[in-house]
Amino acid sequence: MPTEPLMNPVPTRARLREALRAMGASLSAGRLASNPIAPIQRPHAPAAMVEHDRIRAIPVRPLPPPPVVGFLDGIQRYSHEGNLGLVPVLRAHVAAMVQLREDGRLRVRAKVEKDFLVAPVARLTPAQRDRLMGLGLPVHESRAEEMVHPLVDRQRAVEEIERAREAIEHAAALQFVSDCPDFLLVVDGAIGEYPASWRAVGVAKSHETQFLSGPDLEVALTLPYGTRTSVFARTGSAGRKVHTWYLRLWPWEGEDLLYGLVRVERNADDESMAAATELSGWLLSERTPLSSPDGRWDRLLYPIHAVEESLRAQAGSWA
Amino acid sequence: MWLGLPFRIPHSALRIGTMTQPTAIPIGRVVATEALPSSAHQFHFWTATDTAIGIGAIVRVDGPDGRVVHAVVVDARAYSDLMTPLHDVLAAEGDPAGAAAPTRRTEIRLWTANVLRQTPEEPVQPVPLSEVRLATADDVEVALRMDGYLRGERPSGIPVGLYSAGGVTSPIFVDADFLLGPESAHLNITGISGLATKTSAVEFLLSAIFQHFPAHKGRVAAVCFNVKGPDLCFLDQPAQLTEAEQDMYRQLEIDPQPFEKVSYYAPYRPDGVNLNTLRSCPELVGSVEPLTWGLREVLDYHEVLLNRDDVDAKADAFIDFLADRVVEKEFDDDWGGKHRVRSFSDLERLFRAIFDGLEGQGRSDMWRTHHIATIRKVRNRLLNISVRCKGLVTDDGGVSDLPFGAFEDRRVYVLDVAGMDQLGQDLVFTRVVSQLREHLERRDLGVEHVVVFVDELNKYAPQDGPETYVRKMLLDISERGRYLGLVLFGAQQFRSQVHRRVVGNAGTVVFGRMDLDELATPGYQVLSPATKLRLATLPKGELMVRHPHFTQPVFLRFPRPAVLNGRGGVERFPPSPDVSFADAVARQLAQLDRGIAPARVKDLIDGRREDDVRRALLATRRARPRPRDILGFFQSKLPAAVPRQNAERPGAGTHAVVRPLEDPYAD
Ligand SMILES: Nc1ncnc2c1ncn2[C@@H]1O[C@H](COP(=O)(O)OP(=O)(O)OP(=O)(O)O)[C@@H](O)[C@H]1O
Ligand SMILES: [Mg+2]
Repeated sequence: MPTEPLMNPVPTRARLREALRAMGASLSAGRLASNPIAPIQRPHAPAAMVEHDRIRAIPVRPLPPPPVVGFLDGIQRYSHEGNLGLVPVLRAHVAAMVQLREDGRLRVRAKVEKDFLVAPVARLTPAQRDRLMGLGLPVHESRAEEMVHPLVDRQRAVEEIERAREAIEHAAALQFVSDCPDFLLVVDGAIGEYPASWRAVGVAKSHETQFLSGPDLEVALTLPYGTRTSVFARTGSAGRKVHTWYLRLWPWEGEDLLYGLVRVERNADDESMAAATELSGWLLSERTPLSSPDGRWDRLLYPIHAVEESLRAQAGSWA
Repeated sequence: MWLGLPFRIPHSALRIGTMTQPTAIPIGRVVATEALPSSAHQFHFWTATDTAIGIGAIVRVDGPDGRVVHAVVVDARAYSDLMTPLHDVLAAEGDPAGAAAPTRRTEIRLWTANVLRQTPEEPVQPVPLSEVRLATADDVEVALRMDGYLRGERPSGIPVGLYSAGGVTSPIFVDADFLLGPESAHLNITGISGLATKTSAVEFLLSAIFQHFPAHKGRVAAVCFNVKGPDLCFLDQPAQLTEAEQDMYRQLEIDPQPFEKVSYYAPYRPDGVNLNTLRSCPELVGSVEPLTWGLREVLDYHEVLLNRDDVDAKADAFIDFLADRVVEKEFDDDWGGKHRVRSFSDLERLFRAIFDGLEGQGRSDMWRTHHIATIRKVRNRLLNISVRCKGLVTDDGGVSDLPFGAFEDRRVYVLDVAGMDQLGQDLVFTRVVSQLREHLERRDLGVEHVVVFVDELNKYAPQDGPETYVRKMLLDISERGRYLGLVLFGAQQFRSQVHRRVVGNAGTVVFGRMDLDELATPGYQVLSPATKLRLATLPKGELMVRHPHFTQPVFLRFPRPAVLNGRGGVERFPPSPDVSFADAVARQLAQLDRGIAPARVKDLIDGRREDDVRRALLATRRARPRPRDILGFFQSKLPAAVPRQNAERPGAGTHAVVRPLEDPYAD
């Protein structure tokens, strides 16, 4: 029998977790992973306190949502079809849809879609450009850098596709807003690009950009289940101010910090601040039905999931 | 709506405002996956959750290549995008009473349809993945291949009911060539008592046949055995029909009238004058003919009497001997006695002579190669029938029978045997069907087709139990009747209890409301669970029909028969209690001539032998042309009056047997 090592032993996983707990940590799910994390474009952005001087946790109770609400989502698909020399040519499809929920039933109210090509057009010869343009699909400039790099070039093209999807979501939202100006429109993500006259509610579930720091950030990211943070403001593009706050939809003990955490966005006005608790309450009731099997079901609202599923089904095996 | 679904026009139809032609708009789309593919005989399609179709609806799929598929919906499923029930628990945090979900999950109505017909029929291919439409009336005709016998030179459709689904209602016809022969024949109807509307369906169908049987196929009559209470006793009396029922008749192009020509036959009660029927109300009893047979009629069908025992060749041989050598012949017993056997009494006299002779002779147990035990057995059987069927079998040979040879086109002959015991019913059944068969074979019945309706078929042709003569005969009709024009319409509660070859040979098979246990028996394996459920919950007046032209069974609805049903009949025409011998005779004569006063009849028959009176009465009733002076004719048929003291005690007639038998089956 080997004897016990004399020096500090390498801790087992169980011992590590026990020690962390003893130190007051909140333990995560501890899932094994080996993928590198993609670089984050914009890790930080400024914010201003609105509701309170410091971020606090405010309890929220589930409330029935308004009887009629719109939900917006968009999808994108693309394929790298070939290279003219070193110039990549991608084919893309973007689509966005709004479904209106009445009596619990979702019905399509607006849909916009687009097929197009993406390439660093500036790098093409005039003849190549004419041939591509003549194919009958719009050709988007991918805004590639001057230095050729196959991976970066492709990344720029994909960024253009994302911009196109955002534009198309915007178009779908516009259609809906002009049809039904009185109903709230819940969008998947930020609303900083939308005019303040729209009654949009953003539900962001990715937390790439952090607006808070220090104890405020800690309060926000360790928010208990069934609470929201104080409302604060962030600045969107074109200098538009947006009210925002965090909301925890599911208990996160034993999971990651961001589990069940969404960030809600509203127009920066008094009404939206006053309604923050109520709005949070009905978002809490949106936890059911669950949007499984989507892996993001802890943050993905079912109606948004349903819109996305419709778009995917309609895109079929787009090819 | 009869499909059991609330009737709704699809939203799409309302929106476009084409309510008259909802089928112009697709109501569904065929879907196929590797796990749930479209085949040549079955496919799946989805519809809006709010749809007018249901199990039994007929749909149509148009392929891109011009192929048209007609199919009937046989199963349905609904499900949502919920991955596992556990996710619903999680979302509701374990509380079923928790707040309702603000969004309804995406859900699907997925239907399964079985192909009825593909056009073109060749090559047979899987159903295309196209749009699905509700069948129009024209589609229904094509789908069920009715176009083949409704159109053309010699249409032969018989309406059986109305199909309806999604706002489309259309009459369904069966093909007379396949219902009444020669292509196929016979009809069998199954379903639970009181709810399946079996008897009613047959009554309705008989009217449909009588009104629609094509002239080019000749004449048709029906012989119905009334085996249950007053069931078929009022076929000539009208029923009160609602406006909706009359409308169904209009759509089916049937005149909702009771049967114009009905003849009723019933045996007497043991008293020999009151008829053994529930159609005994004074208003109606006059139209009931007595059914009475003599020794000859019984002997010819002696197989019925013997089949309850092991078949006995010796007894058979002895009966043959009696039939061939004794009955209605001059016959010498071996002891100097001369016999001319015409009746059961004569026969009994002969038997006595034989037994006495053998006894006097001493040791011998044989008479003309027949053992005394066999002779005793046959005697007991024959005399037993005259006891048990006292009202049917006359002692004196008087016969009143169906008009074999003079059957009329579109006439129903009802034999009311409901009050008889099983042996008597078997005898009536056997003799009547055999006569029909013989006459049809000789083509001299008077009609070319006869529908024989037998209710409670499980009693007469059971799947289990001993081989009886009646069952053999039913098997024979089932297997060979269609060539002769002898068609069996059978009804029973449990098809599984009827002989397989009898139900198996029925070309047209009808189901009313069914028992779930019965549906669980192997005979129903081909039906989908949804179809079975629908059968188990069918409302009155709805049926599922299988017919050789229909690839799949079809659900339809028929109106209540235009004739008074048994229960209504006995309410409107309450049966009268049996009356005394003298009153019964007086009443029967009064039916022939209203002017006859009962008192005169009573005077006339006072002190006479009942047998003599019965014989005279029968002769009077059957005299054709009908005598002008009924009472005079009756009197002329009575023997000269005998002194009163010689008359027997009233009510103790010697109508059938010489003396009662203690143990009818003893040898
Ligand atoms: N087409 C019809 N629509 C609605 N009700 C009907 C229809 N036909 C018959 N009925 C009613 O259903 C009841 C049962 O009918 P019926 O006597 O024909 O049933 P059955 O199956 O022969 O029953 P059983 O097995 O007892 O003989 C009757 O009261 C009758 O009025
Ligand atoms: Mg019945």
